[in-house]
Amino acid sequence: MQAAQRGDGQAYVKLLKQITPRLQMMVRSQRRFLDAADIDDIVQEILISLHSVRATYDPSRPFMPWLMAIARNRLADSGRRDARRNANVVVVDELPVTFSEEEANIVNTYGDPEALHRAINGLPPGQREAVEMLKLREMSLKDAAAASGTSTGALKVSVHRAMTTLRKVLTAGGGHGN
Amino acid sequence: METDKLIQTLAADARPVRPLASPFARMALWLAVALPYIALVVIVISPRADLLTKLTDARFLIEQIAALATGIAAAVAAFASTVPGYDRKVLLLQALPLAVWLGSLGEGCLKTIWQFGLAGLSLQPDWFCLPAIMLVGAMPAAAMVIMLRRGAPLFPYLSAGFGALAAAGLGNFGLRLFHPQDASLMVLVWQVGSVFILTMLGGCAGRTILNWRSVISAG
Repeated sequence: MQAAQRGDGQAYVKLLKQITPRLQMMVRSQRRFLDAADIDDIVQEILISLHSVRATYDPSRPFMPWLMAIARNRLADSGRRDARRNANVVVVDELPVTFSEEEANIVNTYGDPEALHRAINGLPPGQREAVEMLKLREMSLKDAAAASGTSTGALKVSVHRAMTTLRKVLTAGGGHGN
Repeated sequence: METDKLIQTLAADARPVRPLASPFARMALWLAVALPYIALVVIVISPRADLLTKLTDARFLIEQIAALATGIAAAVAAFASTVPGYDRKVLLLQALPLAVWLGSLGEGCLKTIWQFGLAGLSLQPDWFCLPAIMLVGAMPAAAMVIMLRRGAPLFPYLSAGFGALAAAGLGNFGLRLFHPQDASLMVLVWQVGSVFILTMLGGCAGRTILNWRSVISAG
């Protein structure tokens, strides 16, 4: 870490690669119910946080307690965020039919998650990444820019293009209505 | 995004950084900025007429030293709370000077009751204290916010609360150098009460002042 503080990129890569499996193991043991992708998200969040506050590491003190304090803090933050998000989710077995008119019960193809999933997978990598971060993971523009290493302007353009493409693909794929 | 790709991105952005100094060294720096400002405010407002006499009054000295020590200890605790993995015992550092400060004022109240009965404890409004402490503590508070934002926002409410206590403690120390109010109950209610209110307000603003979002975007 000392070398990383001096700006040694190679030493930094080595360090981050060494600690990533330990962080994954720690997150997995604390959040057994999460899938691999969610665990990776939290680990990445920890790595970004570590990077942002690397100046707080005192080279005369041990590294692991410093790292684990950040990891525990970010893990707790993600737990609170999930709890807030889940508090707003209403789980229903079956969507009730609210109107007897047939028009009100038309299934819209925009609501087809599989088609949407396929369409997102068909996007160019840059656009797909922008949609995943900004629309699916609901990251802020600044966080997403920091995570992807691009500018917020470039992200806005990517997500705009992606949304236009998705709209076209989903409309052409099934059109509106029945 | 894959974790490997993120690691490469972070490494590419790894500009050299200077490690933060220890919480004690940062407190010394903060004090070096705050004390000249407090001296300036006291001089501009004009020191109390009986200041030289008060400097020989043991009770006044104990209360002033305790207020200053509370501010200093709270500053160390605030800075320590933004260093990941730092020994949390430091967070209790201000408990002793705070206890001496409150104890001295409490003892003053008891002495008054002993001498004059409950009638001796008169409490008049003194609305000057809160804005005056805010004025004296403004610069220390601003310096504290800037310095705290260089650390990790691990306990934003606690760090901001300690920071506010540090600035308000120094504010009260400065106030008593130009505000001739020494009755223990008045000091306890209006001055320590103001310090308490400012500490609470500072703590409540913790998440606004210190959060990961701004730390990450500042990079």
